[in-house]
Amino acid sequence: MSDTPRLVQFVVRRPILRTAIILAIFAVLAIFHLEVNLSRLGDAASNLVVIAGEAWPPDFSILTERASWAYPPCELQTDWMCSPAVLGMTQTLEIAFLATIFGMAISLPLAVAAATNLSPPLLAQVVRQILAALRVLPSLIWALIFVILVGIGPLAGVLAMTMYTVGYLGKLQYEALEGVSREPLEVARAMGLPRWQVARFFAIPEAANSLISQMLFMFEYNVRHGSVVGLVGAGGIGWYMQYYLEPFKLYDRVLALIIVMYLVVIAIDQISLRVRSQFIEEHEQIRRPKWRGAFVPWVESSDD
Amino acid sequence: MSLESILSIRSAEIGFKDVSPLLEGVNLEIKSGEIVGIIGRSGIGKTTLIRTIAGLVRPLSGEVLFSGGNISHSTKGSIGLIPQRLGLVQHQTVGYNVLIGALPNSNWFQSIFSLPSVEMREATREAISAVGLVDKTLTSVNLLSGGQQRRVAIARAMVQNPQLLLADECLGELDTETALEIIGLLRAIADEQGTAILIVDHNPVRARTFCDRVLQLRGRTIIPLNEGEQEEASSLPQYRGDE
Repeated sequence: MSDTPRLVQFVVRRPILRTAIILAIFAVLAIFHLEVNLSRLGDAASNLVVIAGEAWPPDFSILTERASWAYPPCELQTDWMCSPAVLGMTQTLEIAFLATIFGMAISLPLAVAAATNLSPPLLAQVVRQILAALRVLPSLIWALIFVILVGIGPLAGVLAMTMYTVGYLGKLQYEALEGVSREPLEVARAMGLPRWQVARFFAIPEAANSLISQMLFMFEYNVRHGSVVGLVGAGGIGWYMQYYLEPFKLYDRVLALIIVMYLVVIAIDQISLRVRSQFIEEHEQIRRPKWRGAFVPWVESSDD
Repeated sequence: MSLESILSIRSAEIGFKDVSPLLEGVNLEIKSGEIVGIIGRSGIGKTTLIRTIAGLVRPLSGEVLFSGGNISHSTKGSIGLIPQRLGLVQHQTVGYNVLIGALPNSNWFQSIFSLPSVEMREATREAISAVGLVDKTLTSVNLLSGGQQRRVAIARAMVQNPQLLLADECLGELDTETALEIIGLLRAIADEQGTAILIVDHNPVRARTFCDRVLQLRGRTIIPLNEGEQEEASSLPQYRGDE
């Protein structure tokens, strides 16, 4: 009988152990509530073995064979240029690029309106709520909505990724704009300039390094997520994966597409990281922000 | 030199709401072409006074009149400000930072499409030349020395050509030679453009040498600095730049 209080005291005196026990209790309750059947994990392992057997070796004919069923149809004469991997990855990159450009064009004015140091408080709050509402839905759900609205194809992907980009990038941008030094803005206000000129000529150039860096990050993000939205019919490499998965279950081709996608995403990440590093403020000798440098970095290499 | 009154402050209380005012019963008049110095210890309200005159902080009571009208109705571009840390747009060029001084004179089309007029570009070139930074026109301002950055801020004010220029400690932390250069530029703006200049300086002796009048903030009000007080002040440990 005397052991029980001692055990309780032992637990009570150790906050980490106490927290771990509470979390474990909640986890067990959630498992029972969700009626999770853990025995299925055994089935998953055996299924994995089957799928791995069918997927390996990857079928890289996706890089050479013409996808006659591609949507939109490929008119080029060269087969590899109309292959599922090249078409899918090109579409994904195009969707990501367009979504980033359109998203940036819409989000920047909204971010200016949402920044409390540039806009009236009431307007800033309203625009912040709009941006928050756009972020509530993940890009996949936006894709589902636009596939219903405009039909399957890359247009739905571009619209879906643009909506998410506006919400996400807009938040990053208004935080960057609110972080600019107060003094240049006060110089502009003392001059009697209207709000839009304060933003256009003082706040945005002052925050340009952050804004360019965020735009490049958003492009990376859109490339990764642009492949996911294809699974619901919104174009890109995901759409080609879905074609092989249902009804053909050609896992070897899907694995090859995943490998191609992985290599392209890694390459874009590295290029983007290299370009973005020039716009991140870590030292005094930071380069002057130039928007064209974000698109054609090699032109900028001899500058400053 | 015209003696038109540019700034007139009458019985103003300066400070922030819900706390006791920093300055009370402030009366001040500045005429065009006049350089007025303001001295006072740190935290007494010099910067808040400058920000109030610039229309960035509302006076708690009293009147701040600009060319006879309320400060909030001052003409676009008629007040120039050089804050303590200069307010330059970082990582942008000297040319950009000077040219934005011409924004109050630009029309809607020029602003939207960033197409400065020939006059605006010429005024920018002249101002950069006047402050001796022609070879730095395309250099980022964050790569310049403190003295050069101050000259950029003054060139911006020259392009703006305001009726009233407010300079908050723009001579701070400068060596004697550079401080003299900056003083020469301010004097030229006042004499040639007829701009009234209100400058905050920590050093009363130096302020006496180039200001037409020197005022001091003491005991929550603004009073003239008389000769006796100047001598008393000069016996205090001097500012590093003047040693």
